[in-house]
Amino acid sequence: MAKTNNKTDAKSMKGTVISTKEGLSKAITDFLKQAFEKNCFDTILIPVKVPANDSYAWVLLKDPALLDDANPLAPIMPVQGGKALSSILKHGVTDSSIAAVIRPCEMKAAIELYKLKQVKLDNITLITMDCPGVLPLKDWFKNPDEGEKKFKDIIKKWDDKDVRPLCQICDKFSVPLNEENATYPDLHFGVLGCSDGTGFVIPGSSKGEEILDTVGLTATKEVDKWESKVNEVTTQKRKKRSEAHKALNKEVGGSKNLPVAFALCINCHNCMRVCPVCYCQHCYFDSEALNKPPEVHLMRAAQKGSLLFKPDCLLFQVGRMSHMTLSCVSCGTCEDACPMSIKVGQVFSMVADQSQDAFNYQAGRSKDVPHPLRVFEDEQELDQVVTMCKDILETGEHK
Amino acid sequence: MSEGFEPRIVGFFCKWCTYAGADLAGTSRLQYPPNVLPIRVMCSSRVDPVFLLTAYLRGADAVLIGGCHPGDCHYIEGNYYTRRRVALLKNIFETLKLDTERLRLSWISASEGPRFAKVITEYTENTKKIGPNPAKNKIFI
Amino acid sequence: MSKVFKINKPAEEGLVGFLKHLLDSGKVKGVMTLVKNDAPVDSAKYSVNYSLVTKSEALGNAVPLYPLMPANAGSLLSDLTIKQPLKEPIAVVLKPCEIRAFVELVKREQGHLDNMLLISSSCGGVYQFDVFVNEDMDKKLPDYWKAVKNLDLYDSLRPTCNGCIHFEPYTADITVDLVGNKNLDKECTMYINTENGQKYIDGMEGKSSEAALDKKPLKEFLEKRERERNQLFSDISDQIVGLDNLINTFGRCLGCHGCGNTCPICYCILCDFESKNHEFSPSTYETELSKRGGIRVPPNTLLYHLGRLTHMSYSCIGCGLCSDVCPVDIPVSTIFVRVGENAQKLFDYVPGRDVDEKIPLTKFEKDEFAEVEE
Repeated sequence: MAKTNNKTDAKSMKGTVISTKEGLSKAITDFLKQAFEKNCFDTILIPVKVPANDSYAWVLLKDPALLDDANPLAPIMPVQGGKALSSILKHGVTDSSIAAVIRPCEMKAAIELYKLKQVKLDNITLITMDCPGVLPLKDWFKNPDEGEKKFKDIIKKWDDKDVRPLCQICDKFSVPLNEENATYPDLHFGVLGCSDGTGFVIPGSSKGEEILDTVGLTATKEVDKWESKVNEVTTQKRKKRSEAHKALNKEVGGSKNLPVAFALCINCHNCMRVCPVCYCQHCYFDSEALNKPPEVHLMRAAQKGSLLFKPDCLLFQVGRMSHMTLSCVSCGTCEDACPMSIKVGQVFSMVADQSQDAFNYQAGRSKDVPHPLRVFEDEQELDQVVTMCKDILETGEHK
Repeated sequence: MSEGFEPRIVGFFCKWCTYAGADLAGTSRLQYPPNVLPIRVMCSSRVDPVFLLTAYLRGADAVLIGGCHPGDCHYIEGNYYTRRRVALLKNIFETLKLDTERLRLSWISASEGPRFAKVITEYTENTKKIGPNPAKNKIFI
Repeated sequence: MSKVFKINKPAEEGLVGFLKHLLDSGKVKGVMTLVKNDAPVDSAKYSVNYSLVTKSEALGNAVPLYPLMPANAGSLLSDLTIKQPLKEPIAVVLKPCEIRAFVELVKREQGHLDNMLLISSSCGGVYQFDVFVNEDMDKKLPDYWKAVKNLDLYDSLRPTCNGCIHFEPYTADITVDLVGNKNLDKECTMYINTENGQKYIDGMEGKSSEAALDKKPLKEFLEKRERERNQLFSDISDQIVGLDNLINTFGRCLGCHGCGNTCPICYCILCDFESKNHEFSPSTYETELSKRGGIRVPPNTLLYHLGRLTHMSYSCIGCGLCSDVCPVDIPVSTIFVRVGENAQKLFDYVPGRDVDEKIPLTKFEKDEFAEVEE
């Protein structure tokens, strides 16, 4: 693993063994209780079962008793954790220190929001875990009890056939190994490659180490087994991902197929509202800017004989894409919120992979790498763009 | 009803009538319970029902709107609109079986210091009777 | 007695023919109607959307009576006319509740009724999105039309459609007779309600006559719908009474605000609940934490729904779009219709009935609601 800013590198990546006999969720909450008692942090942000027992919601809690209803590995993701963090820390820092128990993609969203100045991460401990994915909301609400059981199985077997389509092809389900400059969670719970009933707690920063120390654990064990398994699964998932994207590209690519892919869109903009990185308080596509006098609409209709109403459904989709694709963390929350079951998350993640590649950027990988649209380099870069455009013009495709 | 429960009442008072009435109650040295947190508004019709809901869900034990008597509004007709809005909010509360007793609209003019003291005393006593607002310690509001 | 116009073709075909006639004869500049997309989404799935059509050839795929409401056309007409009234006439085909929504929007200065030929139908309800997206509609549609003919309730529809008692349009110029019309496969029967309507009908090929609408079957249907409505309300009653039940019902809400965003009555460009007014600062979070021991993030779930009730329930037209877009299946529309019914009774108001009727909160009587003050 390459050098990082967080005093962690491949040689020193070590962890401490914990028991996960009663499940990873229980192991994490038990650990949190201990750390809470020792005052490692004042409040915890964690998914908690709602009173009707049929869903989960983010709760910022101070009362340790509430941890009994908490589930760090909730089977669903109704609200993206990055968005939840931003809700608390958008306008400043709390006096109390927060531990946020979130999934890897939620941490990525948090890092993107940090760069977009929508969250302050100063007084916060980020805790993540190896993530098996989450169930689609639509399946979950058919029968939450059944979903709960199903998800227990999924964690046990690390079987991804029932999780969200985007979770099935997620290659960033753990900490970013072998990545330059990557930002690590302060603590990570790793279970991949561990023998049954055990797992690792791996500190990713000095803060994480301190917390481990305070709780009375020391990170001295080698975590090779976990690392090699993570690498193995990552390779598998990457393959699956690129295959899935290739197939999807065939299905939705091109000016003929794309409108069809979004034909069912009813302009509810749910996708935008649940998107963690679409942070604008007042979206351009909801604004008055798009109101036109009736003559303009009639004129546009007259050109083709007919105008979809409301017009510019595709402008919204592709426009939103252009605004956030470099920060898209492929979490799939948008797809979950779509009432018309459009593959919006899959399309966005496919585009995001390509566009982030073009800038040699990975959304949410590192706090210290600036957002590509906030920096520029000199003429050399311009040349590259010009060549790229020429390529596209001549061959009709990128690369 | 917990022993020694002191309700917190959020009051939205019209600058021209009820707020001045409260002043008069003060300068006349009338005694009334200190449980009201007064918020001065230019007119009772400035109060969106959402203000009342926010106070209610954030844990205020009761909410009071004070305005001018009908016909006396400084802006001619503001309080008539207030009355309709409160009627609507109470109607919604009734349909949803929430505590309508925690909402109150009272007309108190600038000259009615004693009435101000009486309304506050009465409302505080009544709120004490119905106990603390259950929304106060809900996590999932 | 009212004027009836009959075209010797099935209802939908006849209506499309009429629309074509309107465009071809230049009586209208455009037609807003539901159109089937010609490219299938997958094997047999066609999307159905509203379109503004200006050439009659483009009406080939028009399905003006299709039982689906991809967006409330009231909001779409508002989008079309919010800046200025139409200078040249267009015809619009919409469901009764969509006209009511548009009338409510016009009252709120969000659109103009000028130069608009309102064509509607007695409405049998619309499919839920879930059914439309996941099932084979070609197979399902005959069931729908059978139910409409026989005045039956039909369970694939939006729950609030089955409980809707305003299935006859209030302010349409022309009403296509569907509900209880046994002949809708054979002829298109249109009631001409206004002179404006008559003006557009003149010159169209068909039979004109005077006839009274047979009210009896409609009355029976209304009773059926009313029973269903009460059933809906009683089914939901224990979910919405008291703070605890409300928290249970709305607990799963994920705050996407899709319900408010698609709601035709919720016209605000920037909703108060999405503005800074309702964001918690870090210190507010800490205050709430000290009170409660824990606080949901993002907060204000219940406040949003209760607040929206105070802002629009008295104008809720019960189109059911809010329930349909809810990603977590909260019965939003049933709740809003339930609360709205009482609020509307309070002000003796039927939203969208008459454009000259003022919105309850923008008018007052000097002597009313004395009991509200204590």
